[in-house]
Amino acid sequence: MTTHLTPAPRRNASAAVALKAPDFGGSSYFAQVRVLTGRSLRAMVTDPGIVLFGLIQPVVILFVLTQVFSKMGMPPHFPDGVSYLDFVLPAVLVDNAAQSAMQSGVGLVEDLRNGVVARLRSLPVHPGALLVARSLVGLVRSAVQILVIMVLAMTVLGYSPNGGVAELALSAGLTLFISFALGWAFIAAGAWLRRAEPLQNLALIVIFPLMFASSAYVPVADLPGWLAAVAHVNPLTYAIDATRALALDVPGLDHAIPALVIGAVISAAGAFAALAGFRRPL
Amino acid sequence: MSGLVMPPVTQPDPDPDPGSGFGSVPGFGSDGDLMIVADAVSKSYGTVHALDSVSVSARRGTVLALLGHNGAGKTTLVNILTTALPPTSGRAYVAGYDVHREPFEIRRRIGLTGQFASVDTQLGGRDNLVLIARLLGAGRRAARARADELLELFDLTEVADRRASGYSGGLRRRLDLAASLVGGPQVIFLDEPTTGLDPSSRLRLWEIVESLVEQGATVLLTTQYLEEADRLADTIAVLSAGRVVASGTADELKATVGRRTVTLTLDGDDAAVRAATALRAAGFAPAGGEDGARGLVVPIDTTRQIADVIRSLDQAGVEADELTFGEPTLDDVYLTLAEQHARTPA
Repeated sequence: MTTHLTPAPRRNASAAVALKAPDFGGSSYFAQVRVLTGRSLRAMVTDPGIVLFGLIQPVVILFVLTQVFSKMGMPPHFPDGVSYLDFVLPAVLVDNAAQSAMQSGVGLVEDLRNGVVARLRSLPVHPGALLVARSLVGLVRSAVQILVIMVLAMTVLGYSPNGGVAELALSAGLTLFISFALGWAFIAAGAWLRRAEPLQNLALIVIFPLMFASSAYVPVADLPGWLAAVAHVNPLTYAIDATRALALDVPGLDHAIPALVIGAVISAAGAFAALAGFRRPL
Repeated sequence: MSGLVMPPVTQPDPDPDPGSGFGSVPGFGSDGDLMIVADAVSKSYGTVHALDSVSVSARRGTVLALLGHNGAGKTTLVNILTTALPPTSGRAYVAGYDVHREPFEIRRRIGLTGQFASVDTQLGGRDNLVLIARLLGAGRRAARARADELLELFDLTEVADRRASGYSGGLRRRLDLAASLVGGPQVIFLDEPTTGLDPSSRLRLWEIVESLVEQGATVLLTTQYLEEADRLADTIAVLSAGRVVASGTADELKATVGRRTVTLTLDGDDAAVRAATALRAAGFAPAGGEDGARGLVVPIDTTRQIADVIRSLDQAGVEADELTFGEPTLDDVYLTLAEQHARTPA
């Protein structure tokens, strides 16, 4: 099969090669998830731009907020003995988790549009395997980003949380769980919308205001009345309160349970909706 | 619509061979296995009928071509047969398995090359093939070996480590075809495989298809190109607006529309008139020759009748300046059938 004319016997031999049934014997669901996760991780390593690009918004927000607000007087309900940087960093990590979750949805949209899903559908691959793989890849991406932001904050900005190593790790773990839950929501959105642009708009419209209408940047008690009301029912408030309580050793740990429950519900509903949306014909 | 060759309808074997072990469909164990069967397959989207009771079949080691223009339903049928899309009604079997009940058994045995290359553009050519082999259950080493084998076969070794996003259209197509062969499929679906390819790439693809079939593969090919169907297909099904308007071998199809013709160019008005008279006397029905026209078209049924035409001319003392013999082309078939069908909506 080269550009010059190939003699017939060789061609037949070649065709025999193409058709010789290799009998690979099929693969389990678990193996498929592993292979598909490995595939996306490999793409992430060879093209780290996606991971770094995802860091831009959280890092910019981190710098802007700390530079602008650290010079202002602290609001009355601000926890004692905590710098503004310390206060805001757990929220920035949650914001980053949401951005990473959105990336999982975008990744699925790319798979749907560039032919990967079309190929997988002609293979004995379970539909859920790709979705689970996308979710797992999102976890890895989030973990890397959390690590980068924390190291950056500690070394460059002087982040010094009061919590111990174990509490910090727990806080990061909870942040990862939030990323996981939102990841499934965005994977579901990607499976239904199947275009990156509305997905990114959705993220902007939903996540951006929700972050401000939460305990992320100012204690809820210091928010104007109506915003405080929104913040009280905003799941992100619970997530941020819990991760902050762990990292800074401040009150709010009681919000961990609702955060976990809401996260579990979002994960389950997202996974269900994602599979339903993904199963529709291309 | 009379006179058309009706699509073959598969008759399930009344006495299935229990030891055939060939899928779950009775009658698939014997010689001349039907590797592709669509039996009255319909697909509707609301009131739009993408496919309307389509029946086609292909035996092992043959090429079935679905011929039709855009929107005729070719891709919809491919999607149903490759288990990507459930039919609204009707039954379909590939390699002896039911598309509805055993999609994974079918997917283990087919290769699909769609209209758009289905490759991961973020990965290199080799990684694409390794990925598929791994998903089919190959170990790391076996997957790599299989990928290298196919890369060489399709002349992709040099670009194997480059990202597919940088591939040209032709390279991507070849990688896509290689990807569809990773599992050593028994049935290969090629959905407009040569659309957008340059002539030499097209020829090469034809050769690949021919040798695959020689080796026992069954191929379903969709195409808009009559030449392609004529060259590759054992059976052609002409699709128009979701229906099979004709099917058969290329020769059978040609026989249903165009007749063979002898076209004569004669020297002078008088010669044409005399030739026409002599031909009528011999039982032919020549057209033309009136009002000073110098050309005559004589429909014939067999090539032997060319001799009769010449004998009649000879006896009338007329010599033709030019005599050409014309076989009907698939173009005639396609245009005639598509037009007929458009005039007589269901």
